[in-house]
Amino acid sequence: MAPNINPLIIFLASIITSNMVLSNFLGMCSYLSVSSEYKTANGLGMAVTLVLVLTTVLNWAVYTYVILPLEIVYLQYIIFIMVIAALVQILEMGMDRYTPDLHAKLGIFLPLITVNCAILGVTLFMVIRHYNFIQSLLFALGSGLGWWLAINMLAAIREKMANVKLPPGLKGPGLSFIITGIMAMAFIGFSGIFTIQ
Amino acid sequence: MSEKPRDIIKRNLFSENQVLRGILGICSSLAVTNTMKNSLVMGLGLSFVTALSSLTLSAMRNAIPHRVRMLVQTLVIAVYVIFVDLLLQAYLPDISKQLGPYVGLIITNCIIMGRAEAYAQKNPPVPSMLDGLFAGLGYTLVLMIISLIREVLGFGSIFGMNVNLIGFETWTIMIMPPAAFFIIGGLIWWLSARAAKKAALTGE
Amino acid sequence: MDFGVIIKAVISLALISGALSVIISISESVLNNYGTCELDINNGSKVLSVKGGSSLLSSLANEKIFIPSACGGKATCGLCKVAVLEGAGPLLLTEEPYITQEERAQHMRLSCQVKVKTNMKLLIPDELFNIKEYICELVGMDDMTYDIKRLRMKLPLGEEIHFKAGQFMQFYTKPYGKVKEEVFRAYSISSKASEHDHLELLIRLVPEGICTTYVHTALKVGDKVRLSGPYGDFYLRGEGCDELIMIAGGSGLAPIRSLVYDVIEKGLPHKMRFFFGANTLRDLYYMDEFAQIEKDYPQFTFIPCLARPEPEDNWQGQTGFVTVALEEQVDNAEKKEAYLCGSPGMLNACITILKNKGFTDDTIFFDKF
Repeated sequence: MAPNINPLIIFLASIITSNMVLSNFLGMCSYLSVSSEYKTANGLGMAVTLVLVLTTVLNWAVYTYVILPLEIVYLQYIIFIMVIAALVQILEMGMDRYTPDLHAKLGIFLPLITVNCAILGVTLFMVIRHYNFIQSLLFALGSGLGWWLAINMLAAIREKMANVKLPPGLKGPGLSFIITGIMAMAFIGFSGIFTIQ
Repeated sequence: MSEKPRDIIKRNLFSENQVLRGILGICSSLAVTNTMKNSLVMGLGLSFVTALSSLTLSAMRNAIPHRVRMLVQTLVIAVYVIFVDLLLQAYLPDISKQLGPYVGLIITNCIIMGRAEAYAQKNPPVPSMLDGLFAGLGYTLVLMIISLIREVLGFGSIFGMNVNLIGFETWTIMIMPPAAFFIIGGLIWWLSARAAKKAALTGE
Repeated sequence: MDFGVIIKAVISLALISGALSVIISISESVLNNYGTCELDINNGSKVLSVKGGSSLLSSLANEKIFIPSACGGKATCGLCKVAVLEGAGPLLLTEEPYITQEERAQHMRLSCQVKVKTNMKLLIPDELFNIKEYICELVGMDDMTYDIKRLRMKLPLGEEIHFKAGQFMQFYTKPYGKVKEEVFRAYSISSKASEHDHLELLIRLVPEGICTTYVHTALKVGDKVRLSGPYGDFYLRGEGCDELIMIAGGSGLAPIRSLVYDVIEKGLPHKMRFFFGANTLRDLYYMDEFAQIEKDYPQFTFIPCLARPEPEDNWQGQTGFVTVALEEQVDNAEKKEAYLCGSPGMLNACITILKNKGFTDDTIFFDKF
């Protein structure tokens, strides 16, 4: 059932040609609001990548060993969301205990990530494309890194443009979208190298 | 502090449009706007879910303990989304396939959660339902505008019907992600500038 | 409708959510279980054994050590600073805006953000140990003006409060009407510091204010009221100075009243001039009391200023904002100290005038609300 694509291709494609933000429009709300400062954007990107990998792999297991056998595919949305919420909560507690340095930097982003559509989105893409375990793992890792890359780029540009004089009304989300559009156009130049969608 | 229905409607469609002024619900706004048919279905689906979720959550608002509030909201929204998803799969399977995971992503759409937190928590069921319905319709309105531009320029059609009467060479980038970003960026810019000018005139 | 499907759906969901809840609870008891931690305070002068896993602020509060806090742990007020020499872990992102570089060198942390995970060494200023919690009985509630109520509270039998005139208490409301949680707000003490078994607070109704609405609508005489305190570094200094310039507006009169009585009861020689700013006649209160003090103690002068007196007020006294009177009547800053309590706008305007006359940051003391 799993498509016959090399997991490494999936990994590279999800960063470049099928970037979560620039091609799939996922995780936009936090992408826009946290990208004004490079440091925080970097922190959020790290947190998103971490959560993505853990939740996608976990959801793959739940899908394969619980949802499919029990034939409750129509409940998948609820189950995935619950798993994501539970995982994030446990992750926060674990990080606080065992990696306090990391928790000090990422801790406040974790509750925000639970409702980030990128997390649920990656899980749903994985289900629709019937990826197997390795493919899911590399898909999640690549998607996370791609998202991280995109928010870092936007934050870097916004920081540089922070003191530029702009026409009225442009500053803020209007500008961020236009910048993102230009970045998306640039990335289209890569299309054709790897195709997974 | 009870709002008149007319005001609820006007507010959600224009002055506090969730997408263009609140910058919410962007993810799906951009993804499905390459054709008008997809946009319409998505918009109506979201309006349906938002209206019913707001209605249900408002009716339950005094019975939900504070600690599990977000969980209950998510569950209620998820149930209605499953309902819409199944409906689409049954009656509009082609569109369902084209919309892909974005139907499921309605659950994480900030608009629904936003209306639930901001309005349904504090107001009675019927106004909440109106508020949710028209927040969704405001979203649909924006989607229709974006997809109109994208479909006409990118496919030369409206709702699948060819309107390319002058043999205009279709502008492929319109169907691709960057165009969506540019169009929504432009719309937000325009509305922001209008609001700034209005504020300057009224001396705020 | 296939009931089998519905039942299967409900049961599977219930089972899965049950399983997840169990997993979360187990993880919580394993991961969040930091065991018993020792808090060494002030180099061993006090050692507490507390259960780990909660914030430093709440762990200390459970041991009856009350660190001031206005935001309830949300990291928005910056009042709960404590020096943590050991055991706090790295500085959190949420603490960064509130701890200056100097304070970081002193190991200052926000106690509402620091979690107790291991043994810790703390430095807590002595005056914080004086802070206690009191469950008082409301014995009097009087309307001083159309929007200011005076609450008079009696301490439990045998308990006493020792505060410096000018300090404030934290007042806790109970859930009422649509408000489901308890909130707390700070109010300056208006009663005399010499009275150790009663407290008086002046509370002005703020439109849509959770606490003030509670006081003005839900609270009744005879109710039990929870307070903690005393807090604050707004109190009398007075060394090497001859005159105290006191300025207040609205319910800011509270700590000034306490200060005035403090000076009189201690027999201190300082002259006092109290500039009280209000809008119209109906905003004035304690007029008779202050007039009496003026008669009995010539060292005290009361100067009420009405900004917008109504014609029917027949106001003969000072008009305009309190800044006008201040500008005219205070010549210089020689041997004087200034004590202010009022809204930020009023305070900033008055402080500017005072600084122009020669007052410095060391001779100006204020309580912003």
